[in-house]
Amino acid sequence: MNEEEILIKLQNIVGKEFVSNRSEDLYIYSQDPGASLPRQVDFVVIPGKSGEVQEIVKLANQEKIPIVPMGGGLTLSGLIIPVKGGIVLDMKRMNNIIEVNKFSQYALIEAGVTTGQLLSYLNENYPNLQPPIPDAPPSATVAGNMLIHGSGYLSQRYGGHGAMINGLEVVLANGDICKFGSCAVSDYWFDRGPIPDFIGLFTSAFGTMGIVTKLSIQLFPKPKEREIIFGLMSDPKDLPELLLKITATGYAEDILLGMQDKPEWMKGYVFIMTYITGDSEEDIDLQSKVIKRIYRKSNARFMKAPEKMRNLYLDKPIFAAGAADFRKGGGFEYVGAFMPLEKIPEAYEKGAELARKYGISPTLGSRLIGGVHTVVMFFSYSFNRADSEDMENARRALHETNQLVLELGGIPWKAELEGQKLILGKMDPNYIKLMKKIHIALDPNGIMNPGNWEVD
Amino acid sequence: MTINLEQDWKDIVHRCFRCGYCKFTREFADFNCPSYKKHRFETYSTGGRMWIIYGLISGEIPWSQSVVNVIYACSTCGNCTENCRFEKFNEFLVDIIEAARAEAVLKGFCPEKQKALIERIENETMFNPYGEPNSNNELLKKEYNLPDEAEWVYFIGCTSNYRQTNLRDATLRFLKKVNIDFTLIDEHCCCSPVIRTGQVNSVTDFISYNLTQIKNTGAKKIITSCAGCYRTLKKDWLKFGVDYDLQIYHTVELVKDLLDQGRIKFNSEYNKTVTYHDPCHLGRHMNLYEIPREVYKKVPGIKLMEMKRNRENAWCCGAGGGVKIGFPEWSVEISKERLDEAKLTGATVISSVCPFCRTNLSDANKKFNMNFEVMDLIEIFDNLEFEVSNK
Repeated sequence: MNEEEILIKLQNIVGKEFVSNRSEDLYIYSQDPGASLPRQVDFVVIPGKSGEVQEIVKLANQEKIPIVPMGGGLTLSGLIIPVKGGIVLDMKRMNNIIEVNKFSQYALIEAGVTTGQLLSYLNENYPNLQPPIPDAPPSATVAGNMLIHGSGYLSQRYGGHGAMINGLEVVLANGDICKFGSCAVSDYWFDRGPIPDFIGLFTSAFGTMGIVTKLSIQLFPKPKEREIIFGLMSDPKDLPELLLKITATGYAEDILLGMQDKPEWMKGYVFIMTYITGDSEEDIDLQSKVIKRIYRKSNARFMKAPEKMRNLYLDKPIFAAGAADFRKGGGFEYVGAFMPLEKIPEAYEKGAELARKYGISPTLGSRLIGGVHTVVMFFSYSFNRADSEDMENARRALHETNQLVLELGGIPWKAELEGQKLILGKMDPNYIKLMKKIHIALDPNGIMNPGNWEVD
Repeated sequence: MTINLEQDWKDIVHRCFRCGYCKFTREFADFNCPSYKKHRFETYSTGGRMWIIYGLISGEIPWSQSVVNVIYACSTCGNCTENCRFEKFNEFLVDIIEAARAEAVLKGFCPEKQKALIERIENETMFNPYGEPNSNNELLKKEYNLPDEAEWVYFIGCTSNYRQTNLRDATLRFLKKVNIDFTLIDEHCCCSPVIRTGQVNSVTDFISYNLTQIKNTGAKKIITSCAGCYRTLKKDWLKFGVDYDLQIYHTVELVKDLLDQGRIKFNSEYNKTVTYHDPCHLGRHMNLYEIPREVYKKVPGIKLMEMKRNRENAWCCGAGGGVKIGFPEWSVEISKERLDEAKLTGATVISSVCPFCRTNLSDANKKFNMNFEVMDLIEIFDNLEFEVSNK
């Protein structure tokens, strides 16, 4: 089929208004806000339901056209920019919140529901429940965040967001619509099992295993009271002990760390935010005293934050976008990295050195996932999108940071193509072999976001 | 401030991160950008539009009618300016879109339908975007016994003068009744439609003409019942480098002052459930949200109900930014969404303080059989009996 015939077929599936090969749309979808270079896109398609996704996938499989699902497009690492051209499937029109189960505490949603939409819906209709919220603007989709092994608010207490998936509906490369989790057996999307758990095949796979059209995610009770205990620590080497003590109390809902040279008051310190929750002000007072005591005994000190700052951080989604405007240049990308706790001091020290090497003001951060079991580190680089040299400098810094992370025993998260290659270079060969076999079994024509996790 | 893209694009346009806040309501419940909600391609969000403009100016994409269509498919409602998180950037988003339209016009890509606006306004028998013969307002002056010189000029605006004459006449009767010393001028278009669509070549000539007419009356105060004229006179005229010593009022501000001073005593009631639609040009563009509400609340009998999206969060009526003339079908679809929202309040009257909103809401009301009364605030006053004191 030629391009015109494919266009007509796609239009027949989703309607003329939701397919484009106009140059302006292809331009927008050929890039993301990160530092990746633009890559070719042939069609943008915006499906409205699972059946349409199924038909598009069947067509793509028949014609061997690459197909790349996109949510909010905010991974920043180019994961939604096709590597080998083809179709970008913008999922955001599939934005129905199908069910909220207040007893089993889950939400069954379509893949295009944004975190902002879900948060707002729950605030209005289920004020006692809260969803996990990524460190991203509200336009990030819930599915996108979950499927990249995301993390964010509630991760310290309840674990990584990827682990909060109860079930999936996936369109496989052959066009089958397959359910995973308890929903494969029951009408209730309340758990991943107890059956062989294949949901992991689709997390951090970046769309290479199938296209997720629905998912069920865990929701959590909303505490009556929430407070942030701010702290400052001058030497990152004391961080692991401090974090062990805080997490051992069981009080922390979230723990975030930051280290940056700007603004001036932050220079030379690790900035600590411990979120605590409770049923009453008395609960908060008690926990606050305990956390402050831990700060004191761990070479940190409590910092009384201005009300404006406290409110800013308590208003969680707003937090995310500000970092992207750090240099007023419209460009921002970071290496997120899953790190073992004991390597955090070294990561801060070497991360700052690396940023300075590239002439970038160090902006480092981290949050705990599931207690101290994982720390996700952020090595952030903002750049001027209108300056190609500055973008190239950021790309070099990002690449060297990926190398640093792997040297320290960590793993780059939602890694861009070059980062994926570095990870594959260190991966157990039999893991790679198995991954390849699974991929060929599921997608023999290689249409699912090809180029990602690709091994020879 | 009008952004000159040739000068400033490097400093401003590329700052958009495409984070997507611009698409939403403040609480993220729904998409509140009419353009994105309609088209659903990222291209049609303000973020997408900023990137397109950057691509055009940097030469990464060529100018074409298709790409210019994206720049024009926006009612410039300002939802993006309210929700973008980047300070000292968000306030310029609408300016950047208008400046890009001006650039498109310079390069010969002004869409045909929008071209009609400038052709009619520049036509020396019209001077208005509706293509009507120019009214020098002398008949109205006679009818209402208005002087040549006065303290105030009532700047009627083209929509009120050529389409919503009931609103114009209600305003004239109100101003007479409350004993305002005012007159009319042989006004030409304030230029809102051509500024919004980037056709700015003769704007300064029109401003100079209107200012001369105003000066001839000796007036120092201008009052208008049009949110579009209000924004244009108060904001855009200054951006075009004009220096004037005039105070600009919307009629709703005058009504509020009179009510606050206790000069209006109502002798009848308006026993209806009313919902107020915030015009973008008065609300998000001029930050005027509470004054109209205070006025409605003081009208005896009115039950004022808020729509879910109100004030900074209001859904646009869909008429502005050249959308009414450029995309007429879509324009009333946008209004229909507003009427659907109004229906949920239980109101039987949807009211605003802008003739252009009134036009588009009325068009949708008629087209979709929504059974609302669409009334301007001043028309509601026109239906009331009240006494005016001079204290």
